[in-house]
Amino acid sequence: MPPAGIWIDGLIQSCTYMTMAFGMVLVFSILGILNWTHGQFYMLGAFVVYYAITAAGIPFFISIGITGLIIAGLGILIKKIIIDQVQGDLYISVVTISLIFFFEGAASMIFGMQDKGLAMVLPGVINLGSFSVSYQKIAVVIFTLVVMIGMYIVLNYTKVGLAIRAAAQQPDAASLYGVSVERLSFIVMGIGCALAAMAGGIMAPLYTVNPFIGGIPMIMSLLAIVIGGIGSLTGAIVGGLILGFLNSVVAYHLSYFSEVVLFVLVIIILLVRPQGLFGASLK
Amino acid sequence: MMPFIDYKNVIPKTVIGLLVFLIVLIPVFTTNVATLSMLILSGIWAIAVMGFTLVLRTGQFSLGQAAFMAIGGYTSAIFTVKLGWPFWPSFFLAGVVSGIVALLVGMVVLRVGGIYFSIITLALSEIVRIIAQQWESVTRGTRGLITSMPDPISLGGFEINFFASTVPYFYLTLCLVALTALIFWRIGESRLGRSFAGIALNPVLAEHQGMYLMKYRVIAFTVAGVFTGLAGSLYAHSLTVITPYMLGLWQSIQIMIMSIVGGISSLAGGPIIGAILLYTFGTYLIRLEIYGIQQLLFGAVVVLVLLFLPKGTGLVDLWERFWRKVVWREEEYEPDTPDD
Repeated sequence: MPPAGIWIDGLIQSCTYMTMAFGMVLVFSILGILNWTHGQFYMLGAFVVYYAITAAGIPFFISIGITGLIIAGLGILIKKIIIDQVQGDLYISVVTISLIFFFEGAASMIFGMQDKGLAMVLPGVINLGSFSVSYQKIAVVIFTLVVMIGMYIVLNYTKVGLAIRAAAQQPDAASLYGVSVERLSFIVMGIGCALAAMAGGIMAPLYTVNPFIGGIPMIMSLLAIVIGGIGSLTGAIVGGLILGFLNSVVAYHLSYFSEVVLFVLVIIILLVRPQGLFGASLK
Repeated sequence: MMPFIDYKNVIPKTVIGLLVFLIVLIPVFTTNVATLSMLILSGIWAIAVMGFTLVLRTGQFSLGQAAFMAIGGYTSAIFTVKLGWPFWPSFFLAGVVSGIVALLVGMVVLRVGGIYFSIITLALSEIVRIIAQQWESVTRGTRGLITSMPDPISLGGFEINFFASTVPYFYLTLCLVALTALIFWRIGESRLGRSFAGIALNPVLAEHQGMYLMKYRVIAFTVAGVFTGLAGSLYAHSLTVITPYMLGLWQSIQIMIMSIVGGISSLAGGPIIGAILLYTFGTYLIRLEIYGIQQLLFGAVVVLVLLFLPKGTGLVDLWERFWRKVVWREEEYEPDTPDD
């Protein structure tokens, strides 16, 4: 049995993967494309928070909100000027994959390649008997809970949420009932990018910030989506939880080969249940 | 009676033939090692890009082509360095091993295809990197394996010495590029190639016509895997070293970018143009020593190409458009390219 610290690390990782996978699935269910650039929005979010705190001296929680707004704007801009102009689903994937290159290149030119460390903005630890947890980590968990509950309320009890669910199920029928799927796709893209950016921002004080931190969360949230089933929001959350805990617990026992174990697990899930744990049957 | 010559068809092909002839004769003009090794490396990338394009023809989007290069490169490096085999058998074994891995992965993943295939091939390239990095006893971890050029071959009184100059290796690469281009071109023209395009265009219709989708996808993926493995072996022996980080996710994306920029409407021409142009451009950008500018511009180039040359026609289409519009001044018509 791994020590409690490992489990808490797993919980922190799950929170990131859950938030990112949730945003990706939300975008996928409306736009019908996977946004491969999601990890780079995570990275940009971390950078915005870093500079908001060190250069402008904005308080941590406000800067996370600002990050969400800025990156949501960026995502909507990309949707408007690039994704909408390219024809064909395949080429949209190509464009979003090459935007990974674009953003990492831009970030390393503007911010530099070296690691940047953010001092703990919420110092102090809470003692729980044999082990202790820093407030920073608790903030990550609380943030994720707030985001998830917020998204649950938005999706289930508001008109926008109703429109999103309707458009995800039947875009044509939804537009017949007066839902502008076009405008909805911008809202959803904004929400998805903001979730990734805020996840990056809230994690920034825990790890170092550099232009390449987006890769691992992106791959992991892709795998989480595969486990949960593409297009299923519950699946994204459960997949993120499974993957985060599994990653840190397996890494405790197997060190470097843990990722191989995860990939093999995902391949087995694909073989046994191609639509994922919570997905409907494949189109 | 004079035979009718379609000069509009013949003249562009003659120009292409002359260009190819010039490339073949480059070692006559210059034996500069830098120029030749740049051409060698762009040829190697061209093979990998052709493989990617063949897989893309079936509508599948592989993000792990560099992993097959790594598998090929490590296979031939391990067999020559650790087991002391000569170059040639390990070179062919590299293709075989890479093809077998492609066959197995394809049989597992291509059942579902689509986005799942992209994600799993992406995961595959990470798995290969982690194994290469951690299996210290065989791959020497991050230090990498030091390979060497092929042994000299004596043909009668004439000896091909790979150590003395880069020229023989240039011709070896050129032969493999030509062979790959020929085979892929023939596949594209054959019934098999039309089946590939058909299952990409409308999988449901193709399945109802009695085509077993997975068979064609696996064939394309395996053929691509074999040639990419051979290219990987050439890559490892040309750089005389192979490390885990040389052929990772970023190189897979680079292969994708070269393919899209070159154009996917032809299986041989587009990939070769894309690989040569982007590799040369990338090498020039690395010399500027501004970190990140290469990624930034590569990403921007793809976006621009897809915005202004839609549907993946790429640069190879510009060549035809140049002859039609600038030289012959024909009327505009929409070229029909395979849709996604």
